[in-house]
Amino acid sequence: MTEISRRGVLMGSLAIPMLGMGRMAWAQSGEVTISHYFTGELGLKAFNEQVAKFTEATGIAMKESPVGHEDFKTDILVRAAGNSLPDVFSYWAGARVQFIVDSNALHPIDEMWAANGLDAVIAKPVADSATLYNGKRYLVPFNYHYAGMFYNVKVLADAGMTAPPATWDEFLALCETLKGKGIAPITLGSKNRWPAQFWFDYLLLRTAGPDYRAKLMSGEAKYSDAEVAAALAMWKDLFDKGYFVENANADDWTDASDKVARGEAAMTLMGTWITGYWNGNGLVPGQDYDFFEFPKVTDGVPNAAVGPVDGLVIAANAANVAGAEQFLSFMVSDAGVQAAWANAQGALSANVNVDPASYNAVMQKAAATVAAAEAFAFNYDLATPPPVAEVGLSMFTRFIDDPSQAEAILAQVATDAEAAFKE
Amino acid sequence: MADTLPATRFNPWSATIFTVLCVLAVLFLLPTVGVLLSSIKTTREISMGELWSLPASLYLGNFAEVLGSPAVHQYFLNTLLVTVPATAVSITLGALAGYVFAKLPFRGSNALFLVIVAGMFFPPQVILVPLFRLFNGMGLIDTLWPVIIVHSALGIPICVLMMRNFFATVPNALREAAIMEGASEWQVLTRVVLPLSLPALAVLATLQFTWIWNDFLWPLIFTQSDDKRTIMIGIVNLKGQYSVAWGVQGALSLAASLPTLLVFLFFQRFFIKGMTMGAVKG
Amino acid sequence: MEQHNRFWRIALLSLPLAVFGLFVVWPLFSSFYYSFTNWNGFDPDYSFVGFDNFAKIATDRLFLQAAINTTIWMVAAIVLPTALGLMLALLLDSRVTGARVFKSIFYLPICLSAVIVGQIWTWIYQPDWGLLNTIIAQVSGEKFKYAWLAKPDSALWSVIVAWSWQQTGLSMVIYLAGLTAIPGDLLEVCEIEGASPWQRFRRVVLPLLAPSTVVVIALSVINSLKGFDILYIMTGGGPFNSSDTLAMHMYNESFKKYLMGYGSAISVVLFLIALAIIGLYFRQLRKVDRIYG
Repeated sequence: MTEISRRGVLMGSLAIPMLGMGRMAWAQSGEVTISHYFTGELGLKAFNEQVAKFTEATGIAMKESPVGHEDFKTDILVRAAGNSLPDVFSYWAGARVQFIVDSNALHPIDEMWAANGLDAVIAKPVADSATLYNGKRYLVPFNYHYAGMFYNVKVLADAGMTAPPATWDEFLALCETLKGKGIAPITLGSKNRWPAQFWFDYLLLRTAGPDYRAKLMSGEAKYSDAEVAAALAMWKDLFDKGYFVENANADDWTDASDKVARGEAAMTLMGTWITGYWNGNGLVPGQDYDFFEFPKVTDGVPNAAVGPVDGLVIAANAANVAGAEQFLSFMVSDAGVQAAWANAQGALSANVNVDPASYNAVMQKAAATVAAAEAFAFNYDLATPPPVAEVGLSMFTRFIDDPSQAEAILAQVATDAEAAFKE
Repeated sequence: MADTLPATRFNPWSATIFTVLCVLAVLFLLPTVGVLLSSIKTTREISMGELWSLPASLYLGNFAEVLGSPAVHQYFLNTLLVTVPATAVSITLGALAGYVFAKLPFRGSNALFLVIVAGMFFPPQVILVPLFRLFNGMGLIDTLWPVIIVHSALGIPICVLMMRNFFATVPNALREAAIMEGASEWQVLTRVVLPLSLPALAVLATLQFTWIWNDFLWPLIFTQSDDKRTIMIGIVNLKGQYSVAWGVQGALSLAASLPTLLVFLFFQRFFIKGMTMGAVKG
Repeated sequence: MEQHNRFWRIALLSLPLAVFGLFVVWPLFSSFYYSFTNWNGFDPDYSFVGFDNFAKIATDRLFLQAAINTTIWMVAAIVLPTALGLMLALLLDSRVTGARVFKSIFYLPICLSAVIVGQIWTWIYQPDWGLLNTIIAQVSGEKFKYAWLAKPDSALWSVIVAWSWQQTGLSMVIYLAGLTAIPGDLLEVCEIEGASPWQRFRRVVLPLLAPSTVVVIALSVINSLKGFDILYIMTGGGPFNSSDTLAMHMYNESFKKYLMGYGSAISVVLFLIALAIIGLYFRQLRKVDRIYG
């Protein structure tokens, strides 16, 4: 008796998956398929709300496939390799999009861009740096972030800071004061490597300038150059003076942020997404935390802002190009969508029609900082081709583990990067 | 068995063993206690470094959130729909092939057996792209079918290995007697050999169920919409671009490991017996 | 009779072989095809580069590091849980009270998924407030802040410990089964003959457990390949590739650097190594069969 019923259960469970499994095509006609990496409690919920607005406005249904950030990289590549990219997918503007454009896997959106007058909608610095590849438009900026020196307001006030350090010497003096008070001046959570890149980016940008950095990122300049060595030497100096927390490679970026939030440390160089994280933990922008720009180092070097742009792109072989273009246009043009999304993500909108008043105090300042900057540069792993980025990111963690090896590490990287550029 | 023996007098040797086991058990339980602690704390508490302290109050919000979510119910259902058939099919296929290798060997059967068993030894990422193309061509992407099929196929090596070894312990005389009486090979397998092999089947069922249940690579690649996702994808996707809901992840992970624990407890009786007999001939 | 057997061989083998061939063997070989190309995954166009990818492996520093790590991982991830499991099984086999409860406790970790095991051990190794450093600080009375997972010397071994914790239960259960099969009178005879407990273990119990060991090792090998999930979650191959394994190296090259061709070449080499290992395993197996079979 029990045997029979158990077998019955088994057979039943075998039969159920057959229902609804015979569907041939993934997308129904009229539908637009999309894969994106906006997961987690905040990301997915907010994204769904914006998608609902699009569906309501146009009647076009979206078929969504959310995949966590890291797994997304695998998933999208397998689907590209399998000739089955979704109509629309999120991707990181910069060298990664360049790579897919060069592989002929993206659909240019110049006509849609012109027809919808996006020139008048998207802030020019972001549009210039993030959307143009080989002379054509391929991407709309869904949101972007800015990396700045985020700090604990109370800790820095206790250390006597009245105005943010404007020069490198002032910055060093501030660190010295903090260290004297027994507080770790700077946290760095480089367990997953990428948080370290902002230091390299800014030190290089502030000393050698945006033009030199662009050359290094594209392989025209070399890691054996004096400019790179100088930037790394300044970074090493900070380690030697003991301004960084110990065990930076053991911390995730959230651990580093938590240390600042708890007041054990003073500041961390991080992207604006930290505001979303801190707000979620109950910190008040402007009151508990704030940020200042990475200080000026060498006079006469153009002031650059660093950050990533989350973009939306259309696959070259998209099944529903018209619907996909409508989606991209709507998501970037609709000021309501942009404002809501930026707020949920702790991000900035590239849409000029978004009222800055919709941001909190800190984000308003971030938007103003980017607007005042002379250049907008992508952070390291989005600025240089993926094989080179892998080499560089590993270099950073190795350097952090033992800064005294800076020269040896750099020599190794110069060789490895040269090889990687040839891939 | 130990449990059925009459109680013996106090014995310093067994008292020592008992103490050692207690210490080891505590050590073994600590990490699991960590999961438990994370599930009854808020994400905020965990991010403040208060994971390992005893909770001031019992926070059940994570469990409420997980167990009350219709998406999670769907994940559980999907995982079950993948795991049960894939477990059953891989064991069935393993039993069929294992029977031939054990009872009907032929020239080259050992080499064939070796090739199949070698199938356990490569990282699955190697066949991601070709399999995706294959299933895409069959129109099966974003259904549970590819996940079931791949797990069934990848389970064949271990099932063949175990079943062959187990069948080898069933005396050949039994098979020959049955054949003499006019039974077909199929009847020998299903009526004579398999009933004797229930323990081995239980072993494989437990192992395959646990492995397939906990896998997330294949459902990640082959399913796309949320209502086709499995529980492990649900856990992974709790990690956002810039945030992780630690507490919810802990609660969901605990809930997700219950079925595999139940399967083990259920099959445990057979399991021991299965290993005894199956292991006899490597 | 021979015809009868042939019919049944074909009838019973065709379905398993078809499934295995179509969904395992064929994809495996078709991925080998890409190892002779410079395919990047996205581009429909690619060209053949002959053995260039294999030549590159010879000069790849990270490949060598990953090969060494894979060897360490495979050996340790097989030996440690096996030895620990055997020890637990011997302890539990001595008719201790509460054996059933102990058994379940030691088996429990296997039920947890890689995601959560990786996470919880990351929290144990956390340098500031992690469980391990807290305990060490309590015992030694000094501040202790070693970053277990962030130091190249300890990263791989720290994950191996976590892995052994999870896998020990499985080998324990199998050894327990093997032990119950050893006749009690045999051991009694040995005792009467004056064999010491160690001699009894070494000369009688261990050889009789050889078949169980074969099963344990087979399962450990499969499992240790799955264990790369945990390694990936806990260290991601870091710090700076010091805990990379070949599978992870292949993944990085294919999916992070977009070098599908080179990644495929790595997997071909990995497969050849695996074939060599399994060849050895089978030779060993036959020896066991000859001696105890």
